[in-house]
Amino acid sequence: MHEKIQRINETEWEIPKGFVENMRVSGRFFLSDLLAEGIEDGALTQLANVACLPGIINHSYGMPDIHWGYGFPIGGVAAFDETEGIISPGGVGFDINCGVRMITTPLTEADLTDKQGLIEELFEAVPTGVGAKSPIRLSQNDLTLMLEEGARHAVELGYGCAADVGRCEENGAMEGADISAVSKKARQRGVPQMGTLGSGNHFLELQTAEEILDAETAKTFGVKEGQLCIMIHCGSRGLGHQVCTDHLKVLEEAVKKYNIDLPDRQLACAPLDSPEGQAYFGGMAASANYAWANRQVITHIVREIFVKRFEIDYEEMPLIYDVAHNVAKWEEHEVDGVRKKVCVHRKGATRAFGPGRAEIPQEFRSAGQPVIIPGSMGTSSYLLAGTDGAMAQTFGSTCHGAGRVKSRSSAKKSLTGDAVAAELLKDGIYVRAPNPAAIAEEAPDVYKPSSEVVKTVSDAGISKIAVRLRPLGVIKG
Amino acid sequence: MPFEELEHTADVKMRITAPDFLSLLAESGDAMASVLYGDFAKEPETLTVEIEAEGEDSSELVVNFLSELLFLTEVEYLVPLSYSIAQEGNRVFGTVSGIEFDRTKHAGGICVKGISYSGLSLEETAEGFELTIIFDI
Repeated sequence: MHEKIQRINETEWEIPKGFVENMRVSGRFFLSDLLAEGIEDGALTQLANVACLPGIINHSYGMPDIHWGYGFPIGGVAAFDETEGIISPGGVGFDINCGVRMITTPLTEADLTDKQGLIEELFEAVPTGVGAKSPIRLSQNDLTLMLEEGARHAVELGYGCAADVGRCEENGAMEGADISAVSKKARQRGVPQMGTLGSGNHFLELQTAEEILDAETAKTFGVKEGQLCIMIHCGSRGLGHQVCTDHLKVLEEAVKKYNIDLPDRQLACAPLDSPEGQAYFGGMAASANYAWANRQVITHIVREIFVKRFEIDYEEMPLIYDVAHNVAKWEEHEVDGVRKKVCVHRKGATRAFGPGRAEIPQEFRSAGQPVIIPGSMGTSSYLLAGTDGAMAQTFGSTCHGAGRVKSRSSAKKSLTGDAVAAELLKDGIYVRAPNPAAIAEEAPDVYKPSSEVVKTVSDAGISKIAVRLRPLGVIKG
Repeated sequence: MPFEELEHTADVKMRITAPDFLSLLAESGDAMASVLYGDFAKEPETLTVEIEAEGEDSSELVVNFLSELLFLTEVEYLVPLSYSIAQEGNRVFGTVSGIEFDRTKHAGGICVKGISYSGLSLEETAEGFELTIIFDI
C-alpha cells in the first residue's frame, strides 16, 4: 500500500488531503488485506483526483472492486452539492446505466436436463457481441417513449408484466430525461440495438441459489435455496456510448467556460445548475431509461423461451430487482445532520439503500434494497441488501462486481477460450460466446474473487449478504 | 506491424505508428477494426461511406475521427478496410470503404464503447507519428 495511505480500521482506508494537489476532501476506500495487495496506484490517484472536484461532499469513495477507469476509478462514488457541485461523465462511464437484474424461476438445477440446448437457444435468441441486431423493429416514436419512460414503455409494448417496473431502481425510468439532449446519431445507434446484450463483461447467466446466508432477507426477496435464477448484465449500448461521447465534447468546453481547475482532463464536467450540466443530466437520464428498456426486452425473450421449454407461466418468473451501477442521480441524504438533495455519481458502484427508504419497493422495505453483485463466469454471484451503514458511510452505495485484476491481452496470451470453457464445463458450467477470445478475456482468473469483495462490503457494514448463487450456464457477450 | 496492443487492465490500449498524420488515422482505424472484429480475411470492398471529423488539435482530431468511424461501423454495419481522406486545417474528410458485417466472419472481437482521452499521447517522431490510445470496451 502507498505510504501516504492511512488505515482507519479492518476494511476502511483513507487518502489524506494533499495526496494530490487541491483535494477539497479526503478519499475513503474499502479493502480487505487480501484485496489491498492488488490495489493499483493509478486507481488511488483517480480517487484523489475526484476529491478535487467542486462541491464534493464528505469524501471521494472507492468500493472494494476499485480499479483504474476513465476519470473516476471503477468502483468510485461521489456526492455533489446541489448549488456548488458538478456533474461529470467520467463519474458515470461510457456505458450509462450498465446494470444487472435477477429473475427467479419455479425450477431447480434438476430441471435442466438439456442445459446446453437451453443455452444455445438463448444464445440464438438474444443478440450478442459485435454487430448484434435488435430482435424487434423499434419505431422512432417508441424509441422516444423508451427514452422517457424506460422499462415502463417496454412493458406497455408487451415485453414484460406490470410488476416488473416496480422492481427496478427508479421504477425503471429516471426523472429528468431530456430527449433533446440525445443526438440523432445516438438515436441511430439505439434503434437497431434495443434488446441486445453487447460484449465485454456483459452476460446472461443461469444460476442456482446455492446458499441462503440470511434466511429472513432471502425470504423477503422471494428467493429459495436450490431455486434456478437468471441474471442479466448489460447497459445502454451504442445509444448511451454516443450520448457520453457527444456531451464530453461540450463539457470539455464547459470546463474552460466556468474556469474549473481539473487535475485530469478525463474529469470534464460542468456545474449541476449550468445549461451544459443539465443537458448532460437529461441525456444521461434518457440513456439510463433506454438501458432499463433494453434489459426488459431481453428479460421477455428469456421468459418466452422458458415458458415454451418448461411449460411454466410467464408470471412464475418474477423480476427480483434491477440495479444501475453506472449513473448519476439526485437523492436525499443526511449531511452533517441535515437532509440534503445531492447528486450521487456511482461509477461501477451500486445503490444500497438501507431499510425504510421510500425508494425501495414496499414489499422489500423492511429488509433494505436488493443489491445484485455478479461474480465472474466461474465464480458465485450474490444477492445482498442495503444497510443503514451504507446510508451513514457511503451515500447508500456498495460494490458492483468482482473487479478486474488482469488485462485482456495477458489473459489471451496465457489462456485459450476453449481451455477455459473446458475447465468450466468440468464444474458443470456451460459457456457460450461469439468467439473463444471472449471467453479467455473473461476467464475467472482475471477477476478479484467475488466472495472476497462481498465479504469486504459486509464486514464494512455497507451491505448484508443474503444469497450466494452458483453459475450453471453463461452467455458471454 | 503499424499497431500493437499494450497492457491495460480493463480496456484495450494500442500503440500505433505511421509516417504521416493521415496514414496514422487509417492505421488507427485498422487498429480499432482489429479490436472490433479480431482477425478476419480481407475481401473486395463493397461499401463506401463518407467520413468527416474536426478537432481543435491533432489529439482531438484522432478521437473525433475514430468516434465517427465507430458510429459508422454500428449504423452502417461497415467493416472498414481502406481510407481515402484529406486534411484541411483542423478538419479531415473523405471516404472509408469496406465490407458489410457478417456474423460468421467478423464475430472475433469485442464492442468498443468509446474512444477515450485517458492515457492518450500523440507524438511526432523522426519516423513520423506515434499514437498511444485506449479503446473503452
